[in-house]
Parts: sequence; structure tokens; C-alpha cells
Amino acid sequence: MPDPKMKFLVVDDFSTMRRIVRNLLKELGFVNVDEAEDGVVALQKLNGASFDFVVTDWNMPNMDGLTLLQTIRATPALKHLPVLMITAEAKRENIIAAAQSGASGYIVKPFTAATLNEKLGKIFEKMPNKAAA
Amino acid sequence: MSDFAGMEDLLQDFLVEASDLLSGVDNKLVELEKSPSDRALLNDIFRGFHTIKGGAGFLSASELVTLCHLTENLFDKLRNGELSITREAMDVIMDATGSVREMFSWLERGQRPPAADPMLIEHLKQAIAGDLHLDGTPAPAAPVAEPVPVPAVPGGDAPPWDAFFEAITGAESETKEAAPSTEAVAPPPPPMTEVPPTEVPKSLGRRVGDKPGYSGPVGRREGEKGRDNSIRVDTARLDQVLNLSGEIGLTKNRLTSLRSDILNGRSDSDTLHALDAAVSQLDLLVSDLQNAVMKTRMQPIGRLFQKYPRIARDLARGLGKDVELVLSGEETEIDKTMIEDLSDPIIHLIRNAVDHGIEPPRERLAFGKPEKSQVRLEARQEGDHIVIIVSDDGRGMNAERLRAKAVERGLISDEEANTMDERQSLNLVFLPGFSTCDKVSDVSGRGVGMDVVRTNIQKLNGSIEIRSTVGKGTSFIISLPLTLAILPVLLVRLGDQPFAVPLSLVREILPIEAAGLQEVGGRATMVVRGEILPVLPLSYLLGWPQEQIPEYGVLMQTADATFILAIDSFAGRDDAVIKSLDDFRPKGVAGVTTLSNGQIVLILDMKELLSALGEHRGVSRAVLVDSMAEAA
Repeated sequence: MPDPKMKFLVVDDFSTMRRIVRNLLKELGFVNVDEAEDGVVALQKLNGASFDFVVTDWNMPNMDGLTLLQTIRATPALKHLPVLMITAEAKRENIIAAAQSGASGYIVKPFTAATLNEKLGKIFEKMPNKAAA
Repeated sequence: MSDFAGMEDLLQDFLVEASDLLSGVDNKLVELEKSPSDRALLNDIFRGFHTIKGGAGFLSASELVTLCHLTENLFDKLRNGELSITREAMDVIMDATGSVREMFSWLERGQRPPAADPMLIEHLKQAIAGDLHLDGTPAPAAPVAEPVPVPAVPGGDAPPWDAFFEAITGAESETKEAAPSTEAVAPPPPPMTEVPPTEVPKSLGRRVGDKPGYSGPVGRREGEKGRDNSIRVDTARLDQVLNLSGEIGLTKNRLTSLRSDILNGRSDSDTLHALDAAVSQLDLLVSDLQNAVMKTRMQPIGRLFQKYPRIARDLARGLGKDVELVLSGEETEIDKTMIEDLSDPIIHLIRNAVDHGIEPPRERLAFGKPEKSQVRLEARQEGDHIVIIVSDDGRGMNAERLRAKAVERGLISDEEANTMDERQSLNLVFLPGFSTCDKVSDVSGRGVGMDVVRTNIQKLNGSIEIRSTVGKGTSFIISLPLTLAILPVLLVRLGDQPFAVPLSLVREILPIEAAGLQEVGGRATMVVRGEILPVLPLSYLLGWPQEQIPEYGVLMQTADATFILAIDSFAGRDDAVIKSLDDFRPKGVAGVTTLSNGQIVLILDMKELLSALGEHRGVSRAVLVDSMAEAA
């Protein structure tokens, strides 16, 4: 069972989009959400506080979502974090790149709370019970 | 009637943010014309369309998604070097951004935009295929290869990506029972750090009240109004406001307790000292709070500036000129209300510069100037003023010609023309009905512009002046107060009654003596450093009886008149917090303010008072001198 107190980091350069994702997460009962506007800020936040889940856009200035994902996977303290990629890139090579870099899930814009819920559910299932404990 | 019931907030956020983004894209496109293979630029523009597309998807604005998607695909190929940019492609891209902007205005009206011009879509597809034909006819008979096959709106039907993704990650599909239980989901507590758009308090913006009533908002107006009323504020600034109001609360508690002490008869020096300290602290905190609140209304002027390079470019191209608009000082902050009201005047000044100021390329070459010309748009803060300068390196303005033109148009007489100095001559362009351009272009030259520009600037309590050197160029210098909510005023008295006049109009204060008064054309005047200025008693402007000798003169300079306001005495200067009179606005009164002693003071609108008197205003010298003699 996911813990409703799980702390999410929503990464997107478009604040409207952060708000959308945030509202969707709220609908699903996750209210502990922080935001970052690009990969660089996200990494600062991830290194500065403890998060349980990262939801990130792909296309961002400074550091894109894929690089963020790769950096997370290469950082011992962060590599366990589930990372859900959100993007409008519905291209085969993007999906391959995301999967190969260790994305926990991939979601294409636009999406509904139900879709997000389903994706999160799949990711939670695979997670070690640590987050729920 | 909205297509977006329940999503209004989201829609507003999207529009504000996406419009900013689009303006940024517009600017980058102008830069891209200069360096067509700059990858960083291409990437930025790509990302701009991509982001707009993402947001539009959530609003189900599918036509906007389609348009952005195609444009994005084109930029994808450009940034990957698969295609390179041509002038035709540039035109199509410009059209596409224009079309995106149009779609935004549909959204502003709460309606889903209809499909873009099929020709534009066709051109985009051709451009993506590297086979662009702009001659209006669809591509040649040969069936055009279908452009990159991407579903226009990924959505509705189950995307295959899931299965695909899972195949790669090695996860088996076990989708049915995955849904997390809902009973664990507690009702969400209020959001923690979300900052809702701050409503602009109406009473703060003095001009808000006297804008022409939006009584029957229709279509676009309505949407725009919705946007005008919200503002994006840095959370740090809001926190400061919160913090200060907390401090003020604490100080108020201290004062309340001191009051009961004093009412109970304690008036020893310790108590009084504490009272003094608390009041001083409150004083400090309140002025800090005022500043902090003001800051929440301040926005970087770059928001306004960023839409101009595109306008200048399109205009210059239409006129066959090569003009670069150079921006500086975009970070300068200015009151939000002013940003909106400045938009049109600056557009007009830029149009004027490009159309009239800048010479055609051949003329420039003949004068040994570079063919490429520059129009500069700068902003900076100078003391408690914001200065905005629009300057060009064009042909400059010829004072002689301006005077001749004004006489020809019957705007001034020959004698008036002869006594005019350089500055006054240049200011002739601000007269209604003045236009130096003999042929009326559709850009400017209808003579309805500059006077409106000046009127608009004055409405913001600002001023505009011109500096020009023939052959070198012209600068229009706009000077504006930092904010409209607080107005530095000079308090003058007529008898015992104080009045406030805007300090921005006051040039100097001088004593009035009978010996210094002369009569010119039946009107009392004074000579100040060689300039003959009419003396207008305040009593006369207000239609009050003159009961006392006016002792002082305040040399005032409004946009169209310089005169000496004769008054009885001064009550000092003050930073007036303006309260606008919402439903009741007597002529000549800009608003009211309260003095420290609680007295209510009218803030005078000099321009209105003067115009109420008409052209031949003034009093005879006798009116002033006789009252002096009587009193003597």
C-alpha cells in the first residue's frame, strides 16, 4: 500500500504543468509534493532532502529529464528512487532511451488521474516494501 | 458558455505562462534570422512549442496541439541538422506563431480554437518534408509524402507505449489488480505552499477606478480582463508581506497594553518611553509594509519589451528597411498597471522610429551611415522614477520644418512659431492633428498618434520629452513614477484649506512680489529667467474668492502649459496614499488623501483644472496687485 505521506518531487519547467501534476497527485491523495523547474534544481532538492518519488518532464532547459534520470541512477544515495517520466514525446526511441536509463514508468501527455494512478500503482508494486514501512 | 468549465484556473495559468513563452519564442525567432544555425536557439524554440503543446493537451485544445506539434517537428529536424532554415520556412514559422497566438485569444474567450488555416498546415508539412512551396498552390501534382507519422493527439485510445515500455524494462503485464486501494486515501488537507494568484486590491491602483467602465464585457475583453486582474508574485515577496504584518500585529498588542496602562493612570517616563518606542517601530514597520506590498505589484518590464522585437522586425521588413531593435534594462521593475498602459504608447513610438525616424537604406548609404539601423528600447530606474527611452539612429527631427508644418496646419500662428525654441518646436509633434508625413502610410502618419501617446503617459503621471539631432537620430524619453499608488505631493494652502498638487509637476517655488508682476495681453505674468510665464492664482482655478494676497508662486510644468500657480502658503510635502473617488469624481480632482492629523485633502488634477478654463485663461495684474495693495 502506498503511504499517502510519500514525498513527491515534480520536475517540469512549465509551472502550469507542475500544477496539473500536483493536482492529479492530490486527487490520488498524495499531498506531500515539492516542485523543481529543471533537472539542476531537482538534483539540488533531491540531495538536500529526502524524497520518495520523482515525477519528471523530459524536455527542460539546463538539465533535461533523461539526464536527471541518468544522474539519479548513477548516484548511490538516490538510485533507489522511483522515477516516472512524463512527456509529450511519443516516440519509440525516446521510450527505449527512458527504459534503458532505468525509468520506472513512462506516461504520455495528456493523461488523467486514472492513468497516473495506474502507472503509480504498477511502480508501487515493484518497489521494495521500504516506502510503505 | 465556456468550453472550460471547472478548468478556468488551469486555463488562466496556462494562458499567462504560455503567452510569455510564445513571446520568448517570437524573440528567439528574430534572433534566429540573424544566426539561423544556432543550435541553442533552435532547441529553445523547439522546447517552447513542445511545452505549449503539452499544456494544450490537458486543455483538450486539439487544434493547438496539432499546430504546435507540426511546428515542433519542423524544429526537431532543424535542430538535428536534417533541414536548414530558409527564408520561406522562416515565414511559415512566423505564421505558425501568429496562428498560435490567435488560438490563445480563442482560449481567452473560453472557447476551443478552431483548426488553423489549412494552407498553413500544408506549408508546415511541406517544410517538414523539406519541400516547401509558398506560391499558394498546394504542392505539385506528385502526392506529397506524408509527413512524419505521429498521431496528432495521443490520448483516447490505449497507447501502445505501455506494453512497449514494459517489454523493454522486462516487466510482465499484470495490470488488473494493480489499482491501489482508495480507502487509505485521506481527504487532502489544504495545499501547503501553493500560491494562488494574488488579487490586486482595487483601491491600490488609482487608475483602475476611472478606467472607462467595462460594463458590458464581450468576447475577448472578458478574457483579457480576467488576466489583467491576476499577477504573478515571487513567494519571497509575499512572505515578506506576511512577516511584516505579523510584526505589526505584535506591535499593536504592545500598544494595546500600553494604552490600558496609560488609561489606568500610569504615565511614568518608562511607560512613555515604551510608548514612544512602540510608535516609532510601528512607523517603520508600516512603511516597510507599504514598500513590500508595492513590490508585489512590481513586474520586470522585460515582460512588456519582449513582444517588440517581432513587431519591429515585421514592420521594418514591410517597409524594406533593415532595423534591429536592441533592448536593455529588461530587468527594471515597474508597477503592473503601468506595464499594461505603456504597451500601446511604446508600440507607437517604435513604429514611428521605424517608419519615420529610420531612413530608407539608400538614403542611409548616401549619408555614409551603415545600411542596418538600430532602434534602442531601454529602461532604467533613476531615483524614484523609471525612465524608458526609445531612440533611433535615423534622420533626426528638423525643428524648422516642424514649425513650418505646424503653421501650415494652422496649429500655431507665425508669431508663436518665431518665439519657439528647439525644445518647444520638437514638442509640436504632440499636438493633436500634427503629422509630418505627407503620405499616410498604414503604419503611422495619421497624426492621431503622438498626442495620444503623450496623453497616455500623462495619465500615468509621467512625462515625455524629445531629444533629436538632425542626421543622427531621435530619442523619446519617458519618465514615470515608480508606482501609481503613492504620489509625492506638494501641499499648498488657500486660506486655511490645504490642497495637494503632484510634485512631479513642480519645477520650483518663488515669492510673488508686485514689482515682479507684469501684464501681457491683459494677463498677469512673471519673468522667470527670461521666460514669460502666466500667473494663475489657485483661487481663480478653483473659482474661489481671493481673500488673501498670494505670497508664493509654484512654477508648474504640465505637458501643455508652464505657469506659476499663486498660492497663500505651504503645508509641506507628503507621500500621498491616493484614494480614488469611485463613483464621484468632481472635475479637477484626481483623488483624495488623508494627512497625518486626519484632515482630508483633495489632490488636484492640474490638467483638468486648466482645460476647464479654456485657451484664454489668466487674470489681470490688477486682480493680484490690488489685493496686495489692500492688504498693505
